[in-house]
Amino acid sequence: MTPELGPIDAYLDRLASELRGDGRRTRRILLEAEDHLRETARQLGGEGRSWREAEQRAIDRFGSPRTVARRFAAEAGDASLPRLGAELALALGLLFGIGMSAIGASGLVAGAFGAAFGKSFVAGDSNGVTYVPARCADFLEYYPRAGSCEAAATAHHFDEVVRYRLAAGVLGLLTLGGWWLLQRTAMRRRSGLLSDSFSATIGAALFGLAATGLLGMSSMQLLFGQAAGAGGLLSGGLIALAAFAAFALAFLRTLRLPLAA
Amino acid sequence: MRAELLKGHLDLLLLTIVSERPAHGYAIIAALREHSAGAFDLPEGTVYPALHRLERAGLLSSGWAPGANRSRRVYAITALGAEALQERRQTWGAFARGVEAVLGGTA
Repeated sequence: MTPELGPIDAYLDRLASELRGDGRRTRRILLEAEDHLRETARQLGGEGRSWREAEQRAIDRFGSPRTVARRFAAEAGDASLPRLGAELALALGLLFGIGMSAIGASGLVAGAFGAAFGKSFVAGDSNGVTYVPARCADFLEYYPRAGSCEAAATAHHFDEVVRYRLAAGVLGLLTLGGWWLLQRTAMRRRSGLLSDSFSATIGAALFGLAATGLLGMSSMQLLFGQAAGAGGLLSGGLIALAAFAAFALAFLRTLRLPLAA
Repeated sequence: MRAELLKGHLDLLLLTIVSERPAHGYAIIAALREHSAGAFDLPEGTVYPALHRLERAGLLSSGWAPGANRSRRVYAITALGAEALQERRQTWGAFARGVEAVLGGTA
């Protein structure tokens, strides 16, 4: 048999939904609120009121769930603009770090494509692209064993694609390291000002767009027989697709979907 | 008394009550009401955030103590809290004397 839920139970349910932040803090607030409300109701019940009336009076004296929750947020400094700014910066820092790391990963994939299918697949010029003799001389100075201006230019572009992307990846990993340290120390306590799905939503949207664009462009190139340079786009598109999948999964987890029996 | 007027002095009142003896939230609020003869009437639930803030500031400490039916969070003043209370009492005394002097002079 399920015992009847009283006004205090309903009040605590509403207070729980208004409170934001970490679980331990929320649990403590609810325990203290329940103790206070039941003690007040017990005292008021002793004055001859019905238990339901006593509970309602206790609730009226305690304040609305929204008022109490807002006071907790204000006293904790959670509702301040600086706090919101700090949490926003941390979330954007995470997205930046993942974005840069993804670029780094695409550099590795581009390097693998170059080894497997040739540097032209990653960084070859489109048909009809030519260079003036002075520029060719530059390329051949850096890549004397390339044999031709076109091959030297491709080798130059390929190295740029891979190195710059790897450099971005190193920056991304450093950013993620800083993010990890911050969220383990100074930003450990979460205020709940930002939705749980904030980073996941933005990440999924950005990487989804990037994957669509890059895979679309590389597919078009391959379909029209323009393989030169398609690997550069394809490597970025594949990594963007993987990042999109990870963010989409994280987003789904924030939805609290019902589990299958 | 309006809640806004009380807000600026709530810390002093709470520290004073807890300095008398460690107490749980309900007892602290009951003492606040009794000592003020009902003059300090504010939503009781809004006192707990102030208690939590004072604890975070190191002026109060708290821990769970077994009660008749439930565990209760009992608050006690810390050494830092006792120092802060002393300082705030002096500040309040000077302020109250100043206000009284002005009011008395214009009465």
